[in-house]
Amino acid sequence: MCLGIPAKVIEVDESKHGKIDYLGTKVKTNFYLLEDVKKGDWVIVHAGFAISKLNEEEAKETMDLIREYIDHPET
Amino acid sequence: MSQNKLRNRQVLRGLLTEIKSKAKSLNTPIKIMEVCGTHTMAIHRHGLKKLLEDSGIEMVSGPGCPVCITPNEIHEAAINLVTENNNFILTTFGDMTRVPTRKGSIQTIVPAAGSQVKIVYSPEESLEIARKNPEKEIIFFGVGFETTIPSIALTVKIAAEEKISNFSVLSALWLVPPPLNALVSAKDTKIQGFLYPGHVSAIIGEKPYYFIAEKFNIPGAIAGFEPGDILLALSSILDQKKTGKAEVANEYSRVVRADGNPTALRVMDDMLKVKDSLWRGLGLIPKSGLQFKSKYSAFNAEKKHSLKIEGGSGDLPGCRCGEVLPGKISPPQCELFGKKCNPDSPYGPCMVSFEGACLAYYKYQR
Ligand code: SF4
Repeated sequence: MCLGIPAKVIEVDESKHGKIDYLGTKVKTNFYLLEDVKKGDWVIVHAGFAISKLNEEEAKETMDLIREYIDHPET
Repeated sequence: MSQNKLRNRQVLRGLLTEIKSKAKSLNTPIKIMEVCGTHTMAIHRHGLKKLLEDSGIEMVSGPGCPVCITPNEIHEAAINLVTENNNFILTTFGDMTRVPTRKGSIQTIVPAAGSQVKIVYSPEESLEIARKNPEKEIIFFGVGFETTIPSIALTVKIAAEEKISNFSVLSALWLVPPPLNALVSAKDTKIQGFLYPGHVSAIIGEKPYYFIAEKFNIPGAIAGFEPGDILLALSSILDQKKTGKAEVANEYSRVVRADGNPTALRVMDDMLKVKDSLWRGLGLIPKSGLQFKSKYSAFNAEKKHSLKIEGGSGDLPGCRCGEVLPGKISPPQCELFGKKCNPDSPYGPCMVSFEGACLAYYKYQR
């Protein structure tokens, strides 16, 4: 039940309600739990609520680390 | 935001090779608990369980399945509400409707006249049902860990602000760190490392696990749910084990901040207070659950409908889910596993939930 999906914010109104795009489907989402969130942000959504903003820089770092293993798989 | 790399075969092979050699250098097998049921599923689905075992790492599933750890007495209270009262709508998450109890499951019972059960995806959906059905009484059977709790709390906050009077929550809200404390404090504990949950940690951050590293010197790492995430976290746990310096590593920093989600924590703090809670299989754990503050009693189904939820002996005879949850036995050790108990006709909650260890074993390990 702690399944959370990474999705892109496509709409958010003043009451912090809006929609995310998940694999091409628009899903109603509550953004109240996020301090500042705007269209285009990546978030983790759980049970209809966005619970965390994806840190793109961090995401990139993880990807870089992972990439190292591609280049030097035995190290 | 492609996460493909975290699934790339070559990458995973590299990580696995590294983990293998690290595990080997420890000279003794290591037992690591994955706390969260979503990790259990991921580990099994991607075939990591067996691969890790061959490297000397035994993964044991923990109590991180809210559907499973909620004692049958609470499930039965939900059933009573909708079978004994007319014009009640019981709303809950899908998994909850299939948990077998002494009274059947929410899915199989016959509701009273004018009453019904509705499966919802979000707590807020229940509130919408309450707005649209003012002549009915809506009870949301809300179960969850810190990942879900802020959403449930926020829903009640909105209901209170809008003065919605036909809505209440039958809550089973569980905190993750207290049972971990109970597990590592047990004399016979064999857990040598923790894979900490990703989305619970997105809310609570790193700090609530520090005591495990500091007081018990048990390594741990917060992990995401891609196979690469899990392997990176395991690699960190092995490093900590090797150096003897336990810490709480955050290998899911693209989602988890050190201090978690302060807004969500504030909502929880405003609305809820801690209580001692009874867990299936783990018993009564001090300060391990949350309940709504008395200010919000009108939205607390237990208070509003004078429910008496007692005991903890409601497990169906023969089901060993209570031993699976603290990692005491693995699912195939239950005699009913795969026979009387299977996903089509689950006999215990650990076979119902998508996060249940019995279901994970059944699907991927047989
Ligand atoms: S296999 Fe079924 S009966 Fe056995 S412990 Fe798991 S859920 Fe319970």
